[in-house]
Amino acid sequence: MATVSITHLHKSFGRTSNRIRAVDGLSVDIANGEFFVILGPSGAGKTTTLKSVAGLIDIDEGTIDIGGRDVTRVEPYHRNVAMAFESYALYPQKTVRENLASPLKSGRTGQYTEGQRAERIDQVTTTLGINHLLDRFPRELSNGQRQRVALGRVLVRPADIYLLDEPLSHLDAKLRAAMRAELKQLGAMSNTTTLYVTHDYQEALALGDRIAVMRHGRLVQIGTPADIWRRPADTFVARALGQPEINLLDGVVDDDRIRLGNGSFDVPIPADAHDACSRGDRVRVGLRPCDIHVVGSDADGTGIQGRVVLAERLGRNVELTVDAGGAQLIVLTSGRDGATEGAPVTLTVAGSDIHVFAAGDGDTPRLGLPDRASLLEAAQ
Amino acid sequence: MAVKVFKTSRGELAPGQKRLSFGSAAADLGLIFWFIFSLFPIFWMLMLALKNAEEQTTTYFSFSPTWSNFATVLSNKGTEMTSVDFKASLLTSLLNCGGAVIVSLVIGIPAAYAAGRWQYRGSNDLMFQMLSFRFAPELMVIVPLFVIYNQIGLFDTKVGMIWVLQLVTMPLVVWILRSYFQDLPEDLEQAALLDGYTRKRAFLMVALPIVRPGIAAAALLAFIFAWNNYVFPLILTDSNAGTVTVAITKFLGGGGQAYYNLTAAAAIIAALPPLILALTIQRYLVRGLSFGAVKA
Repeated sequence: MATVSITHLHKSFGRTSNRIRAVDGLSVDIANGEFFVILGPSGAGKTTTLKSVAGLIDIDEGTIDIGGRDVTRVEPYHRNVAMAFESYALYPQKTVRENLASPLKSGRTGQYTEGQRAERIDQVTTTLGINHLLDRFPRELSNGQRQRVALGRVLVRPADIYLLDEPLSHLDAKLRAAMRAELKQLGAMSNTTTLYVTHDYQEALALGDRIAVMRHGRLVQIGTPADIWRRPADTFVARALGQPEINLLDGVVDDDRIRLGNGSFDVPIPADAHDACSRGDRVRVGLRPCDIHVVGSDADGTGIQGRVVLAERLGRNVELTVDAGGAQLIVLTSGRDGATEGAPVTLTVAGSDIHVFAAGDGDTPRLGLPDRASLLEAAQ
Repeated sequence: MAVKVFKTSRGELAPGQKRLSFGSAAADLGLIFWFIFSLFPIFWMLMLALKNAEEQTTTYFSFSPTWSNFATVLSNKGTEMTSVDFKASLLTSLLNCGGAVIVSLVIGIPAAYAAGRWQYRGSNDLMFQMLSFRFAPELMVIVPLFVIYNQIGLFDTKVGMIWVLQLVTMPLVVWILRSYFQDLPEDLEQAALLDGYTRKRAFLMVALPIVRPGIAAAALLAFIFAWNNYVFPLILTDSNAGTVTVAITKFLGGGGQAYYNLTAAAAIIAALPPLILALTIQRYLVRGLSFGAVKA
């Protein structure tokens, strides 16, 4: 158990002519026992960050502290961290039992008798449900089983920090959901500081005590899952979370309302963005498909009038594509409201579910937030 | 009892059945011809080795076979013109080539690992330099080498031979093993580092066992190349460190009489050690040992 603090981490790869900045000035403080998730698309610098904490790559600038000790120039085998690799990295010439025994035999994770080793291995394999595989070789296992063995090699030893690099990414959807639930229930995980890297927003929201969203080697937003979901710092974060993706519509600020589409409908300005926009400003409005509701009648006259273009049933939910004043809106409904293709519908959105971002192409920041640097500062 | 006759007309083939075509038959015939053509020298050598002195220059296949040539070669009697201690030269060859391969492995495996894992200043130039030893014909460097060997006392020594054979074996070992180490996922050694092992132990525990087939292949190739080397021992050795390749040619004589039958017998005996080594090492040449280590 230990705290981790990463300060101004820089790491570039490649030659001087075309250097790629994998991590560009990242600073994060992780509390003792926290389950900390790093979320980002591929190439965001997540794995580089993780391997920097592990000591597997030499960083260009910055410091890494583990448990208050500066370990920036400390060899990996002196850091007492355990890591599950995205590629599993099981020793092919060793059986599952030998793979799991490996960290216990090195002498740097504590001294164990033969009996203590067997006990620890038995405990962890029982938890992970792989104790019938002990005498198999990695090549004789399925991907899901290899995944568990890789996780077992992390959990079998006492470590200050667990580093998990996309541990569920190559499992099929059902197994992933099951393993996600298991991970959360693992006692060891809840006591030991864990850094978890993923590109899957559901994993991040489900597992993390806090989430750091990364893009191009930089931190975009850091906060609790609820923070990040409710108040995405920019359109990148807003788009990264949620499936189907958030609706982003261009709009113009009018008195207390934002006109959208060809001007035929509008939404109220949410309270947090009120001070940041004035009449005539161009903005982007984000509406999550699950926050838009289909209502039977437009009682107070503030609903959005539209026509269903497409209705796709996706298991429990129905995904509607609604044409509203020339703009296309994706709406997720239960399907019980009877909205069928071609039917006119009335949509409502709660004021707190309206996200307002600055106008422009690419990723634009949320309006009404304190400026980003101070926000990131405050979050740490 | 009725006899049923199955008639199969063209175009009615059982599932999976192949039609015999003229083209494939011709290809088979061509392959058989090529096979005979390429193996004929070996066949001729075997035949020659079994002929006696009177018949050795005949070009027909009828002769009275004898094992006496092999006995003569191994008896150290040599010929009237030259004395050849063939058994001693076999032993010398084994020591030279075995020594050269062991030295190449001891130095070459860490070198290949470093070259395969890390890019450092001039690493590619160094590798190219290593390979360039194989570009130059040996005859080009043999005169200066001869002078140097004479002056520093390495002429006709086994140490000198082991040293000079590094030119043959080292590039092979380093280049073959470098590609094996490059193919090895770095995650495996990193996992060992995080398990608490030092870089050296990670190398010995994880990397080395996995590239064992590569080591076997490189060692075998290096041994064969060293064994077949002729120019270095011819110039740089005399009676003490003379190898089997040089010894074979002595049966060709020097004073008018060539013993082709003895030469053939000696060549056959000389070909046995690499052959035996290849057969023993074969089972280590299996690839795909690293399968299952990391996901594909």
